[in-house]
Amino acid sequence: MTPGERRNLRNGLLFALPYIVGFTMLEVYPLAMTVKYSLQRYSVLRPAVWVGLENYRRLFVEDETFWKSLYNTAYFTLGSVPAGLALALCLAMLLSLKVRGQAVYRTIFFLPTIVPLVASAVLWLWVLDPQSGLLNSTLRGVLHLPKVPGWLADTNWSKPALILMSLWSIGGAMVIFLAGLAEVPQSLYEVADIDGAGPLSKFRHVTLPMVSPVILFNLIIGLINGFQYFTQVYVMTNGRGDPAESTMFYALYLYRNAFYYLQMGYGAAMAWIMFLVILGATLVVLMMSKRWVYYLGE
Amino acid sequence: VRKIYLLWLAGAGLCLVLFAVLRPTEAGSPEERAALDAGRVVITYWDRHTGHEHEARAALIREYNESQGKVDKVYVRALPIGYNVLMEKILTVTAVGSPPDICSIDTSILAQLSAQGCFTGLSSWMATVPSLAENEFFPHTWALVNFRGYDGATQHWVTDVWGIPTTTDTYCLLWNKEAFRRAGLDPNRPPRTIAELEQYAGKLTIRGPNGIEQIGFVPWFPWDLTHMWGGFFGGKWYDTETGYATCGDDPKIIAAYAWQQRFSIDPAAAQQLPFVINPNQYPAYEKMAAYMSANNPFYAGKVAMITEGEWQVTFIPKFASHLDWGVAPIPQPEGVPPMAYGPSCVADAVPISARHKDAAFKFLQWFYSPRADGRPSPVSDYNEAIHNIPPIRAEALQERFMGDPKFRVFVEQLLDKPVLTSPIVPQSQYFMDKIDNARQKVVLRKMTPEEAARSVEKDTNEVLADTYRLMGASANDAR
Repeated sequence: MTPGERRNLRNGLLFALPYIVGFTMLEVYPLAMTVKYSLQRYSVLRPAVWVGLENYRRLFVEDETFWKSLYNTAYFTLGSVPAGLALALCLAMLLSLKVRGQAVYRTIFFLPTIVPLVASAVLWLWVLDPQSGLLNSTLRGVLHLPKVPGWLADTNWSKPALILMSLWSIGGAMVIFLAGLAEVPQSLYEVADIDGAGPLSKFRHVTLPMVSPVILFNLIIGLINGFQYFTQVYVMTNGRGDPAESTMFYALYLYRNAFYYLQMGYGAAMAWIMFLVILGATLVVLMMSKRWVYYLGE
Repeated sequence: VRKIYLLWLAGAGLCLVLFAVLRPTEAGSPEERAALDAGRVVITYWDRHTGHEHEARAALIREYNESQGKVDKVYVRALPIGYNVLMEKILTVTAVGSPPDICSIDTSILAQLSAQGCFTGLSSWMATVPSLAENEFFPHTWALVNFRGYDGATQHWVTDVWGIPTTTDTYCLLWNKEAFRRAGLDPNRPPRTIAELEQYAGKLTIRGPNGIEQIGFVPWFPWDLTHMWGGFFGGKWYDTETGYATCGDDPKIIAAYAWQQRFSIDPAAAQQLPFVINPNQYPAYEKMAAYMSANNPFYAGKVAMITEGEWQVTFIPKFASHLDWGVAPIPQPEGVPPMAYGPSCVADAVPISARHKDAAFKFLQWFYSPRADGRPSPVSDYNEAIHNIPPIRAEALQERFMGDPKFRVFVEQLLDKPVLTSPIVPQSQYFMDKIDNARQKVVLRKMTPEEAARSVEKDTNEVLADTYRLMGASANDAR
């Protein structure tokens, strides 16, 4: 290493030092500690007791709610992420059309994303009320359905209700799709026109491949957010996954164990399992993406 | 390179300036600064309430700061923390040794945290304050704060008083008199037994072409009171001696679950009972987001009878002034000794590592004692302001509480009957969650009443055993 390179290295490290120190203290250290706590019986205020893999054994072997929360979370994620992606892409395509007031429409569709989570959860409680909610009133009054879902009161409909509600906040993904669509070269559409392609063919053979990297990005972000779904379900289901644990999501169960039941070690074990599940899901998606994601210039 | 060092120096200088401007100080406001300058100690008070309930408390604290606080050389800073985040905040600040000097807290959390050595035992100090003697309090409120906990200072298990009861609640049957008239029932004669309750519920349930137009009564509306029904049926949820759940084979607990199941539609039955509802169509009130509004189903005439707390004496005139309603003791099965329900209290606790305990005690003595000029204690004013029942018996009997004929019925429940409280164990929240969760499964017919009682006992005892082990104690130590 030349003296110049050494000097550059030193200066670079000096500039990065505040981040390195902060990251180590606020991220690496707590993460390492949760590994330790996951192997202990720990309630924060009393000395921890080493129990080895006992927390993991209890989770996998004895705790039915753990499996239920995993199932509920997977159900929600597998329902909300594809539906959200499809709707966000459709909206982005509509909002890409050159029409008068385009910016206003884009703003309107993005607005729900910036509504605070708790406020939107309370709003949706009204919408989903089985007796007097907006949704069931519409189903009864306009569509004249004789039987309407009980939504959050019904164990069969509570998760679909939350999936439906999740579509309210697809504005973030929609904006990213808008940016992706703007990057699709116009010449490709012109070539398709010359070849006689219709709108559906252009979507399938031009738009979709060209925005596939954006779909991959939104898919991974959606998966991570889906597995960590917490605030809305906490507000809307009495903070404990009512009715009958049908909305007991993984993050909610983790929170209750750690902060309500003071089983912080158990909660730490759950956190690591969640991390591994998300990591695994992300790796699978990334591996499979080689088959369907197309990068311009490859 | 010199430029880089200059940049670093400038950055460090900026950090120092920011720290000097933004550094935490003892005084959070000009009033606190003035109090510190006058030699007063500033103590921090964490309020589990927010909104108008916190405002009522803050007004009394202002009174203290402007009067007795000057004599005591104490200034109280009140912070509204709220119920939802109280547990995690208390955990965090206690772990880092920087808790508030006083914390108002629900007794369900108090029991859990006292077993962790979080709070100061108050009995020796309270013995010096005449207004805080045990016999001044309703016995159930005393029981909710007086139990075996872990003394973080001496590292021993002791029976002590871990908080001072501030407010208490109880539940009664509320009924819509107009609905009674329409059903041909005497509007001034509520049901008195479980059998009568079912009979009335049947008559008051009105079905129309689009479903139920009026619900007569459902035991879990608006609150899941399974714990109460279990006690009212004569059952015993846990053994106070061993500290473990015992409900698994208790026929009366099973009967309480089975009775609630009768109110949910039975797909296998050829003929439904007249009062059944489909639980999949009627969520708890909180989910209907209408509890504190004119759309509350009881106010709106959609439910004829409910089990509710004394705060409704204030809520109903505010949101449904048109409603003609009555209040009476909750019916119980015949042959079971009458009982009242006072599940929990809000209590003032002093964290074990509070920095200004003596100053905290001075404020608490003022708050819980009659005023020097003969007026009632501030805590009594506080209960009047937030429409709760004072846990000090003599104060609950004041005209301002007993003068209202409806509020009076609530207070009377606590006077001469045994009062059932929520479980006083180190995992009380888990226990209550399991009880309620099992009820949901029973009425949704995903579990039998027998399975429900057994699952509550099994799950709770596993967690309790773990908790006792973690606390380095046998169950006997912790009881």
